[in-house]
Amino acid sequence: MAKLDNIIHQPVRLQIMSSLVALEQSEQVDFVYLRKILKLTDGNLGAHLAKLEEAGYVRIEKTFIARKPRTFVKATGKGRDAFDNHITALKQIIGSADE
Amino acid sequence: MEISQNDAQNSLKEVEIISSRTRKAVVAAYDPPVLIVWGLVCIIAYIATHFFLKWVWPIWMGMGTIGSAATFLICHRQFRTANPTKIANGAKLGWQIGLFWGLLYIFIFLIWLPIMAPFNGLQCTAFIITVIMFAYITIGLWSNSRYMIWLGLAVTCTTLAGFYLIPHNYYCLWMAATAGGALLGTGAYIQLRWK
Repeated sequence: MAKLDNIIHQPVRLQIMSSLVALEQSEQVDFVYLRKILKLTDGNLGAHLAKLEEAGYVRIEKTFIARKPRTFVKATGKGRDAFDNHITALKQIIGSADE
Repeated sequence: MEISQNDAQNSLKEVEIISSRTRKAVVAAYDPPVLIVWGLVCIIAYIATHFFLKWVWPIWMGMGTIGSAATFLICHRQFRTANPTKIANGAKLGWQIGLFWGLLYIFIFLIWLPIMAPFNGLQCTAFIITVIMFAYITIGLWSNSRYMIWLGLAVTCTTLAGFYLIPHNYYCLWMAATAGGALLGTGAYIQLRWK
């Protein structure tokens, strides 16, 4: 029986992980672009990403492209597994309620 | 931690919405300008071919060169300054994609068309567009990009319908409207609705 993940289940963090896991495993998304997709503020997104990074679910990379600082985010393997388990747990809750 | 079935369903819906929005947004960041460029190339090339059929080869070679140059500039700018995502070995992948299209260009204009000559203008344009749509469908299958598959199939069907069913006098105008219009319209739609 899969268990719900307390860290991922928070609504904003669930959105973040949903977005990151929708990308290819080797793909990283730009912080600003992620903020636009999720319609969050810099501070809100940054705080939740820090929490996810602390849990090892995301990796944040700061780099330079064309001499401009850019921050990229991607879900780690651990994060993807945790997200998949969380989704499985949600489906089990729905499935058990249907029985 | 326990949650209700209703909360679980709402969470799953939210996951699906965000996943779909993310995938569409990534496509919309790269593809629309290129589709719009090639839509315009097709429209201009087909209309020019309608009026100057015997110049079909130089028209398409010229417009193909312009389209390729514009595509390279768009992609180069996008990858350098505004790309929303970064892929491991992304630069290498970009060059591979560019090389693929460059090779296709060479094969079409410098190898296949000379081998198959003589041919009429309608055969030439139908051949070029169906080869490109074959590439679209193949890339769509590899990248799991459904809109590319459907676009490739739709334009192939309209090309075949035009080639075999439309009076030859109007074939190029038909293609300008359907093939060019499909590419331009798809690019505009993604630009407006998926971003």
